[in-house]
Amino acid sequence: MAKKLGGNGAARLGFLHQLEGHTDRVWGVAWNPASRSGGAPSMLASCSGDKTVRIWEQQSTVSSSSPSWTCQAVLDESHSRTVRACDWSPNGKLLATGSFDATTSIWEHVGGEFDCIATLEVKIHGHENEVKSVAWNTSGTLLATCSRDKTVWIWELQPGNDFECVSVLNGHTQDVKMVLWHPSRDVLVSASYDNTIKVWAEDRDGDDWRCVQTLAEPGWGHTSTVWQLSFNMSGDQMVSCSDDLQLMVWDSTVDPSEWTGNGGGPWKHLCTISGHHERTIFSVHWSRTNGLIATGSADDCIRIFAEDPTNVASSVSFCKVLEKQKAHEGDVNSVRWHPKDPRLLASAGDDGVIKIWEFEQDL
Amino acid sequence: MPGPQKRSSLRQDDIFDAVVDLETSLFQQGFDDGFISGVRLGKDEGREVGLKSGFELGEEIGFYRGCVTIWKIALERDSTLFSARAQRSIDHFDEQLRAYPLTSPEDERLQDLLASLRVRFKAIMAMLSIRLDYSGYPKASSAGEISF
Repeated sequence: MAKKLGGNGAARLGFLHQLEGHTDRVWGVAWNPASRSGGAPSMLASCSGDKTVRIWEQQSTVSSSSPSWTCQAVLDESHSRTVRACDWSPNGKLLATGSFDATTSIWEHVGGEFDCIATLEVKIHGHENEVKSVAWNTSGTLLATCSRDKTVWIWELQPGNDFECVSVLNGHTQDVKMVLWHPSRDVLVSASYDNTIKVWAEDRDGDDWRCVQTLAEPGWGHTSTVWQLSFNMSGDQMVSCSDDLQLMVWDSTVDPSEWTGNGGGPWKHLCTISGHHERTIFSVHWSRTNGLIATGSADDCIRIFAEDPTNVASSVSFCKVLEKQKAHEGDVNSVRWHPKDPRLLASAGDDGVIKIWEFEQDL
Repeated sequence: MPGPQKRSSLRQDDIFDAVVDLETSLFQQGFDDGFISGVRLGKDEGREVGLKSGFELGEEIGFYRGCVTIWKIALERDSTLFSARAQRSIDHFDEQLRAYPLTSPEDERLQDLLASLRVRFKAIMAMLSIRLDYSGYPKASSAGEISF
């Protein structure tokens, strides 16, 4: 049962652990979705400018003191340049990594060892330059990748761990920074340097994907690069963060494939959260367990937002619950809430370290 | 007295008018000459650019046409050669090619349709696990610095 934190009491973000080992900035972290399921320890993947991916594991224990983290594996044979993004498949068995070398690699977690089980032949047949983001859909059957070449590719996982290209999506006029799937539908969203967010859905007949909506109307959309997107637990709201120092929350209740086409688009702008960030907001993540939104920014801070409990208007609004200054010695590139434990937050920074935090709030 | 003065001032105006008119008429003549010359040069340059762009477009569409022909012949011989999805994609690509308004240079959709053809071609190449190129093959990426 998701416990909604974010009451009115004093909030703290306590530092728990620092994971060191990368020799360059850490671009992203991803919690293994199977963390803490059925006794499994928490596992985290991190990707870095040092061309490697590291897998970290927390020793499972019942003691109250925080158990230690160790680096279980360093995946360093596959990419020839910065690894920019990583994402676990929903069952936690496969890890996709996207790199500036224009390829995407898929790794399989088998019995404690990580083998590179497949390299998507994206270098030759797919993206022409740096891959910026990779994302699995909720059923683990589709993988989306996006790149500075302005395209988004959708791949389908075939038997035998093969990947077949389903579609190449054209539409963004600039570098695509992130792709993300809706938590319950096969609907894809993408964020770009062209200041827009695009919503993609499959045509009912045949496997053609098309852009059903572009979130960019004047007055609604971001006025600069959109860096990341995140859905809330139910998928009826989505938050976006941007270089324009704002967060925007969107109503994503309507299923785009059922939308009839009148009046703008299926999804609507709900509210804008501004005035809290001083520099570019690089990362945003909406927790699936506690309803809080965490952001990582170029001003080295991590901030946490919650839905405003005092808000009486019919529309939603958010308030800042906490601001952690100097969270990293450098830009905070990624913030990610733990999939099960509502208190844990991981962050990655330009300082080459990953930090694990514990969120607490007095009621 | 108004009368004679007027007459003499008219004469004076005529003289000045001629001078002023001379400047205007020379200007106009220069402009007209320049315009005619510009139109001629513009047409020549336009023809060159048009020929070049037309050739490039024709080359690209022709290349796709050739690819589709080969694929279809290969499929006739062995229908299991490509996956069902790839075959559907090739059929769709074929339809798009046939519908391409190659002989209507003023059609506004030319660029967009070409972009969608290119993207579908890339997807088909990925599905067939091949890489086809020719020297004029357009690239989406532009030479430039890395961005984060």
